[in-house]
Amino acid sequence: MAVGAEAVAVVVEGEMNVDRFGLGWRPRLAAGILANLDRIDIVEVIADDYFRAPRHERRALQTLAAQTPVTLHGVSLGLASAVPVQTRRLDDMARLCAAVAPESWSEHLAFVRGGGIEIGHLAAPPRTEATIEGALANLARAKEIVGVAPHVENVATLIDPPGSDRDEAAWLSAIIRNSESKLLLDLHNLHANAINFNFNPCVFLAKIPVERIATIHLAGGKWIGRNGAQRLLDDHLHDVPDPVYELLEEVAARAPQTLTVIIERDGKFPAIESLLAQLDRARQAVSRGRARALKQQVAA
Amino acid sequence: MSESRLEVFLARIYVDQTAREKFLADPRGEATRAGLAAHEIDDVVNIDRDGLELFAHSLEHKRANKHGHPKN
Repeated sequence: MAVGAEAVAVVVEGEMNVDRFGLGWRPRLAAGILANLDRIDIVEVIADDYFRAPRHERRALQTLAAQTPVTLHGVSLGLASAVPVQTRRLDDMARLCAAVAPESWSEHLAFVRGGGIEIGHLAAPPRTEATIEGALANLARAKEIVGVAPHVENVATLIDPPGSDRDEAAWLSAIIRNSESKLLLDLHNLHANAINFNFNPCVFLAKIPVERIATIHLAGGKWIGRNGAQRLLDDHLHDVPDPVYELLEEVAARAPQTLTVIIERDGKFPAIESLLAQLDRARQAVSRGRARALKQQVAA
Repeated sequence: MSESRLEVFLARIYVDQTAREKFLADPRGEATRAGLAAHEIDDVVNIDRDGLELFAHSLEHKRANKHGHPKN
């Protein structure tokens, strides 16, 4: 059963007057994050970790949300599919949003199951009209049940999705332009896809509605595969590489709206100071992009 | 929307090694037997084989390491 309207009022888009920089909440990072909230503007929490969590863990999340801006990030809805997203999964998200009152929530444009098989990962769907229509229908249901449309994230893929009849930028743009969802642009996913499938990420940025970007993800990855057929895996286990900061600067130069930038790290955790230093690099990249845009405005 | 046969087919060859080996040995035959449309069969016959192997391997690694979330 859908949770419905009671969730509507509690998920509110935060007022964003300045660019913000934050970290993905992980238990191993908790102490470091809590000790440095003066340098962290927002934390992103994996929603799925709390759908079946004990009451005390939910209370801890509510306490965190009372201390600092929180956004919830889903990983298992499978919104980008020709198959309707399961109502019980949307109900889980609605209940969590009602309990935590995050400033926003997000999910991936991926399919994660088919025919009863759980893929266990975010798979890029065939980029077709059918999956665009499926994603739009799923996003409408997500808004109806949760109360607020999710921000939606581009995914990294190691395989060129079979059955596609258009490129990623065209597919993604069609969904963003025809839905109420804002874009959570993962720049390491973009970087990895651009390398693996040989396209220019700046051309990608020129094709998508950058004015609809609300949030940016940054992460790192590693090379996998044999010589001659290597691909870049987005594993969230490594530091943010230089080209991703360069893409962040590029986005900041193109997108005038305020941005929320989140670094995701899922393992091989460095000292918190290292992650904070990477946040500082992100701040500098955005500042450079903003300065470039201002200079271009003045010159025009 | 009906269950997408292509998504089901992809999920199977991504996750199930036996299904993947059968598909790689006879792509057109397996896709036909799965009931895919003609254009979908053509697409999967020309599948990105390197990408398929790498993605499948990364899934196996993730399962073996119980590596948290299905995030990229």
